[in-house]
Amino acid sequence: MEYAIEAIELRKLYGDVIALDRVTFHIKKGEIFGLLGPNGAGKTTTIKIFTGLTKPTSGQAIVAGFDVVKNAREVKKRVGWIASEVIVDDELTGWENLEIQAKLTGVKNWKERAQDLLKYFNLWEAANRPVGKYSTGMRKRLEVAMALLHSPEVLFMDEPTIGLDVGARVGLWEVVERINKDFGVTVLLTTHYMEEAERLCHRIAIINKGRIIAIGTPDELKTKYGTDIIELEVKDKVDTSVLSKFGEVILEDGKVIIKTKNAEEIIPEVVKAIGSVKSVKLKKTSLDTVFMNLTGASIEGEQVNIQRLYRRIRLARR
Amino acid sequence: MIREIYVLYKREFLKLIRSKYMWFMMIAQPLMWILFFGNSLAGMPSSFLNQYFGVSNYLTYMLPGMISILMMTMGVFASMSLVFDKRVGYLKRILTTPTPKSAIGLAKALGAVTRGILTMSILLFLGIVLGVQFTVNLIALLEWFVSLVAVGIGFSLIFMALTANTADVQAPGAVMNLITMPLMFTSTALFPKQFFPSWLQIISEANPLTYLTEIGRSALVYGTIPSLSHLIAVLTFTAVSMVLGTIVIEKTLTAE
Repeated sequence: MEYAIEAIELRKLYGDVIALDRVTFHIKKGEIFGLLGPNGAGKTTTIKIFTGLTKPTSGQAIVAGFDVVKNAREVKKRVGWIASEVIVDDELTGWENLEIQAKLTGVKNWKERAQDLLKYFNLWEAANRPVGKYSTGMRKRLEVAMALLHSPEVLFMDEPTIGLDVGARVGLWEVVERINKDFGVTVLLTTHYMEEAERLCHRIAIINKGRIIAIGTPDELKTKYGTDIIELEVKDKVDTSVLSKFGEVILEDGKVIIKTKNAEEIIPEVVKAIGSVKSVKLKKTSLDTVFMNLTGASIEGEQVNIQRLYRRIRLARR
Repeated sequence: MIREIYVLYKREFLKLIRSKYMWFMMIAQPLMWILFFGNSLAGMPSSFLNQYFGVSNYLTYMLPGMISILMMTMGVFASMSLVFDKRVGYLKRILTTPTPKSAIGLAKALGAVTRGILTMSILLFLGIVLGVQFTVNLIALLEWFVSLVAVGIGFSLIFMALTANTADVQAPGAVMNLITMPLMFTSTALFPKQFFPSWLQIISEANPLTYLTEIGRSALVYGTIPSLSHLIAVLTFTAVSMVLGTIVIEKTLTAE
């Protein structure tokens, strides 16, 4: 099996800061691969290395068999890039933006292709309007059209749906699926949205602090790192020792929270063991929980801090 | 390379002519130079003007010099535009394509030269309207035009090379102060060199603006064919700055 994208022991240092720490992954041709990680994990740095915007400190990055440092030109001919911030020239029209992209990537029959893409992305009517007058969704669609103009083998998408409304987001997902299925384009995308990763990606790598900490299909990751959460409201005090055999138990203002693997099967036993249950809530494992478990990110933790901070601000004002 | 330079130049050109402020500046700036600076010596006895400048009207003498300074400062716009493209991320868009970095620099240099030629045309027109009498020599005029384009490209590449690795919007201004002020005052753009102290004369002879200005004066003021050495000096300056500028841009231009 030939790989479309390979990262081998990639390291990137910005001064003393380690942005990437020996990152290794292999993406097969025709695969949609997701890089998931919190802000500052090294997702954008990875994409910058693969698109030739920055050089790795050490290690190798290979696209379609070409080394991104030694054969930058060959790599750039074969890749398309979609930025997290939409980058188009606002003072020029959609058509002019496409012309620049076409001439820079050396597309021969660019006018026909540009016309097809504009029609496909529903921008044909707006082709001669300055891009500054486009809506965010239109600008994003234009950016995608620009990235596809030269029929890239590999598409790098850095948080492609950030800032889009639900409709535009689903629309873009469909586009990604279509170009992947119909034209066999390999896609490497980064995202914060678990829903997006689950819907689009064949395989996912979770990256944190510059290291890959897990890699696999969404289902594999869920089985391996996921936890179901059972939340019970109880009437009386509960003896946690009888519950510990089911999994990790947390008591929190009148609630019992049990982290476990196969929640559906053990719920009856848990209810029996506690006796006085008012209500049961079940949260099945999702990529969200996998992500939280692996990266140690906790939204609750942040909320506590904000409460404390807010209290302090109020005290200071008096 | 040609294709990339062409399309990036087209971008510069379209952005240039679509900007209202650019048109305003292009008209307002020459107007102020002519009205305020050009007339600052208007009341001077013409015998003195003839002795000092070799012409009876300072405005006539100054115009080619002013155009030299103008061409040099256009490089600042190239450098500012490059930094701006970094700030908005557009440079990343270009650099993810197989475009050579030097093509980006050359396209911006041509954009700056275009701006300079447009401004210069307005300046000459205003000069004529205000009654400046030119004694034209056509060969010299052609030489002058070539020299203006050459010097414009040369300075633009120098300015961009010096700010290629930064995204700091202050950088082009700092470089401008470093380069334009000394070059302006050590050239013959504003005053003739026969009254300079000898050390300043030496500097002015190493200053490309001096040669550009003298070619311009031959074309418009004296109506003579300038010495070939002037043109050689200008083209040498451009060749050196093009080679060094493109090498530095290729090596140091950062995407952001």
